[in-house]
Amino acid sequence: MLEIIDPGPQTSVQDVGRQGTIVLGIPPSGAQDAFSLRAGNLLVGNPTGGPLLLRRDPGAAGLEILLGGFKARALADLVVAITGAQVGVTVDGVTVPQWRAFLLRKESVLALGMSKAGARAYLAVHGGVEVPPYLGSRATHMRGQFGGLEGRTLRKGDRLPIGAAQADPGALIGRRLAPKHIPTLAQPWRVRVVAGPEEDIFTSESVDAFYATEWKLNPKSDRTGMRFIGPALSFKPGRPRYLIDDAGQDPSNITIDPGAPVGTIQVPSGVEPIVLGVDSPTIGGYARIATVITTDMGAVGQARPFERVRFARTAYDDAVAAIRAQDAVIAESSVLG
Amino acid sequence: MIYDAPVYRTLGDTALNVEFGDETSITLNFRILALDQIIRAHPLKGVIESNPQVRALGLIYDPLATTRDRLIAALRELIAAQGAVDRLPSRRVIIPALYDDPWSRECAEAFGVRNNIEYIAEFNRLTVAQVIEWHTACDYWVTGVGFVPGTFVSYAMDPRKRFGAPLYRTPRTWTHSRLLNFGGNTSTIYPARVPGGGQLFGRTPINIFEPAQRNRIFRDGPVLARTGDRHRYVSISREEYNEIRAAVEAGTYDYQVEEGVFDCAGYMSWLASLGEPPEKRDPDATWQRS
Repeated sequence: MLEIIDPGPQTSVQDVGRQGTIVLGIPPSGAQDAFSLRAGNLLVGNPTGGPLLLRRDPGAAGLEILLGGFKARALADLVVAITGAQVGVTVDGVTVPQWRAFLLRKESVLALGMSKAGARAYLAVHGGVEVPPYLGSRATHMRGQFGGLEGRTLRKGDRLPIGAAQADPGALIGRRLAPKHIPTLAQPWRVRVVAGPEEDIFTSESVDAFYATEWKLNPKSDRTGMRFIGPALSFKPGRPRYLIDDAGQDPSNITIDPGAPVGTIQVPSGVEPIVLGVDSPTIGGYARIATVITTDMGAVGQARPFERVRFARTAYDDAVAAIRAQDAVIAESSVLG
Repeated sequence: MIYDAPVYRTLGDTALNVEFGDETSITLNFRILALDQIIRAHPLKGVIESNPQVRALGLIYDPLATTRDRLIAALRELIAAQGAVDRLPSRRVIIPALYDDPWSRECAEAFGVRNNIEYIAEFNRLTVAQVIEWHTACDYWVTGVGFVPGTFVSYAMDPRKRFGAPLYRTPRTWTHSRLLNFGGNTSTIYPARVPGGGQLFGRTPINIFEPAQRNRIFRDGPVLARTGDRHRYVSISREEYNEIRAAVEAGTYDYQVEEGVFDCAGYMSWLASLGEPPEKRDPDATWQRS
């Protein structure tokens, strides 16, 4: 078990998310930066699950720790790795490196400082956080109040059950991710997108502005959506009149459609594009200028308030190639030590 | 409008929307539900999720197991082979509701707007009593499930009784759970305490989302609504509301849900007999998407 001493601003149990529940209005949830959680699980010898949105299985559950400032006590010997945001990790006051599996002895205190780069750190633990799965996943959906630990973020005093150790956990200690695979966490964040599905209803000047702008992350962002501060975008005139009744008065309103997946960029009223996060609504009613590619959702999730983000148009085939390339990193060949 | 042939829209690297038109239309939704059923019965390689909504079918797929082009080719074949939709499985669900309720009034007061049901009445040149009469006068077809967990989108099946009111300009930061509301002519219910911009006009004592799955109606999943359901609202008194709510909280409420099959062809003939146009057009629109 792992006892929470201080959860920091927001910590939740997450795996890589639910599959097959969008038809119920239930988004995937899971780690906002799935690569970091998967890499952590790889290091501590857990199932890593499939790439984000291709959740062939949800993998082992760990913790998503927003902005760091987290402290916990081990109630048994555990093998742990901290990935994602740079937080400064200590065990009983002694610094330990990130992206590397280490032994957290019974009664030791693990502490994460406030993040110096990146917004979300991930704690992976050998055996996984063994809360009961809900609809096939342990991911917490905070607004829906299900999954994870009692459907909520963690509190001081929570005791998290950890799954049984397999084989020889001691052999996992010291495993680290090859440095070339550790993401660089620096702004301006470059986020690749595939154009559309509604790029054609924006004016061409606005489409150009979308790609030319260095957007700033609005602090009112969360796992539902990440909003970006920048210039207002506009829409082509000549919209059919019946859309006022069927979709709404605003030129950004489109008739309801399947808004999923995660990553579509809605632009309500042309103001503050919103990248839909892993807890986002499952239907949409706003024009979407572009869609963030699967592998770059992690970068969006790692941007901190007011950090700069640039969107880069990418070909569909390159987006698919990026999934293949990133998924190939989650393999023993990427592990040193 | 309804497109001559569906348009395949790319949403990033793992999703594809099969868009049949750009309007809300129950009869168009029949075609989408029929396609969804075929895909569920004969899964397409690589497809992970299928999400039918009013005018489009959303598919999430694994681009490492199939390709977008292969998926579109398979969908084209299925759609070409699809005949007219005669019947669809459709449940009839009775939803008791306390109209012009104190919780909707409280939300309106908290956000400094007038009692929403009075605004809905005025917007449609009806009295408050007529708003209740109209909303309980016909079945509402559930064209899609979603937005937040448990919620759904539905439209009045009798076009003569279809009405609504525009969403708030600035959404509320919270809404009481289980409030009935209009967003345009979409009728829905907030499953839980969530933000939202719908015009509030009543509260149901029944759960439409029950994550703990206590009542047997939720045995197979935490969400009451299914696409293709016909919802019928029934106006109840405060006493009835309290009784039903107590039974719901005890997990003993007997949900009034009837399995059935809906005669889509008959419904379409009936619409035609009312003189309903088969689709909406605007000859002055200068952009047409396809």
